Amino acid sequence: MPARNNEQWEQKPDLKKGEWVDSRIYSDEEIFEEELSRIWKKAWIPLMHESELPEPFDFRTAIIAREPVIVVRGPDNQIRAFLNVCPHRGMALDRRPAGSFLQGEPSGNAKHMTCMFHGWQFDMKGNCVEIPREKAGYQGRVTKEGQGLRRLRCETKFGGIVWVCLDDKIDCDVEGWAAGSLDCIRKSLDEEPLEIFHYHKAIIDCNYKLWHDTNSEFYHDYMHYHNRITGFDDAYFARECSAFDNGHVNVGTFTVNYGEYEVAHDRGDLTFPHLPPNNWYMVDMFPGVNVNLRGSALRMDLMTPLSANKVMIEFRGLGLKSDSKKVRDHRIHHHNTIWGPFGRNLHEDLVGVAGQGVTMMPNSEPRRILHGRHEGLYIHDEVGMRHFYDTWGKWMDRLPSDPGKKYEPGLVVGPEMPPAKGISIFPGKGAVAAE
Amino acid sequence: MSANGTNKTEMVKDAIYQACLNLDEQKWDEWLGQCDENFEYSITAHSPEIGKDMKYLGLNALELKEYFELLPKHNTDHSPLRRHATVYSVSVDEKAKTAEAVTSFLITQEMFDGVNAPLDTGENHLFVVGKYLDKLKIENGHAVFTERETRIHTRRLDKGSHWVF
Repeated sequence: MPARNNEQWEQKPDLKKGEWVDSRIYSDEEIFEEELSRIWKKAWIPLMHESELPEPFDFRTAIIAREPVIVVRGPDNQIRAFLNVCPHRGMALDRRPAGSFLQGEPSGNAKHMTCMFHGWQFDMKGNCVEIPREKAGYQGRVTKEGQGLRRLRCETKFGGIVWVCLDDKIDCDVEGWAAGSLDCIRKSLDEEPLEIFHYHKAIIDCNYKLWHDTNSEFYHDYMHYHNRITGFDDAYFARECSAFDNGHVNVGTFTVNYGEYEVAHDRGDLTFPHLPPNNWYMVDMFPGVNVNLRGSALRMDLMTPLSANKVMIEFRGLGLKSDSKKVRDHRIHHHNTIWGPFGRNLHEDLVGVAGQGVTMMPNSEPRRILHGRHEGLYIHDEVGMRHFYDTWGKWMDRLPSDPGKKYEPGLVVGPEMPPAKGISIFPGKGAVAAE
Repeated sequence: MSANGTNKTEMVKDAIYQACLNLDEQKWDEWLGQCDENFEYSITAHSPEIGKDMKYLGLNALELKEYFELLPKHNTDHSPLRRHATVYSVSVDEKAKTAEAVTSFLITQEMFDGVNAPLDTGENHLFVVGKYLDKLKIENGHAVFTERETRIHTRRLDKGSHWVF
């Protein structure tokens, strides 16, 4: 078809509902605010790895849906999460990204969380243990007993990932939330303790869902010379995509031919427990989490949506806590050559979504974003995105292809191709199989 | 310091500043030509977020050469990186004919592939802050790099880069 005029350009694509979305879901500020309330404040969100708080009294801070969160390891070794907010006047309890409460602060004692403003102090369970001149000022009207921190539901699960949910009433634990999506790598994650070795972050002018899309679809491997060279064989095209309740998907493994890339060498000499050499699983969890086990290194992308057109992505790399220095160095090299900030693939992926962000700024005219590839639920089938947006539509009660309308089920699994043998197709209440 | 030592100090400074010019202009071969065949290169950082020293990239001379040769096959941000560097210290070991140097640098990015290129092109952003921790050997009247640790203080790296610093 030749280049289109405005009327042709704005026509809906000749695809079924569910096979495309309206780009306003990536750029509309009202929709974004609604997403924070209806999705990000309601879901289990992984915030960090337990090895980021290795010792009692260590802490990390994070943000979920603009709510400041502090995660601490208590003297009992339990990891707990609270709003990082002093109940007195709303000051952030701690202003650092990480640290230890073993050291005292100018306003407070060691082994306590202390609000620097007026010296209110809290223990690692969130109990208020000190209000300066409490009786003199409040005469019993405000007491320590009534001024604990706002505790949050928190679980450490699946290889030591720390999960937090702002909604006390969420009807499942993390096991239920994952809905089986992590089972493909569960033995690898849980065989022995993991440890973080890599952290960096990106703030990109694009909607968070665009990064999740990129992690969910492999059709963009055409962008990566590395992946074309080391993959794109029969085994690659036989990788199976599976969808799970709650909007999660995973992509099955194959053997990557690392030696085909000019700079690289075969990586089969180092892997994760229970993971065959040079194999690669990918798990994408709603609403914006990626867990990526590739050979010797585990990558975890955690997103913090900042606005309709801005997202912070934190990149973590993990190995085994038991690694010798030599083994750890080996894992780091493998991780960084592909996924580091100067690696081959991550830069290309980020350039890609930044380019999408340019075309989908707030108030830009709607584009029709396609995810209608059906390839029998194999690697380039875009079932992952279709499943995500079907779930998104339900949570938001909006139709992804026309977000001003209420949710209706769309096509997730295409009828054109028989499903790949042995894969799970929406075992629960999740998505529709076909129109 | 002897006059001889002073000359060697100047040799080291000259080598570091010439390397900056080569890297600014993406003259990768010329930059590698300043390096020993057993040269080791790394980009490192400390993360207070996770409490760890990290290595973001580690390549030897041969791997660097291959890395540069493959650049045309990869998609990359086209915004040039240029540095302002100051050699803070040079320590010459006269006996071993080696030297170590610490150079502070700021790397700016001249926006080309901007958020919105027609608007951003030509603007300079601060991209990375760090130090070069160099080891060199002195032979035939020249200082040759044997090791460079590019120690950066920046962990918000946004799109990152395919170009080494």
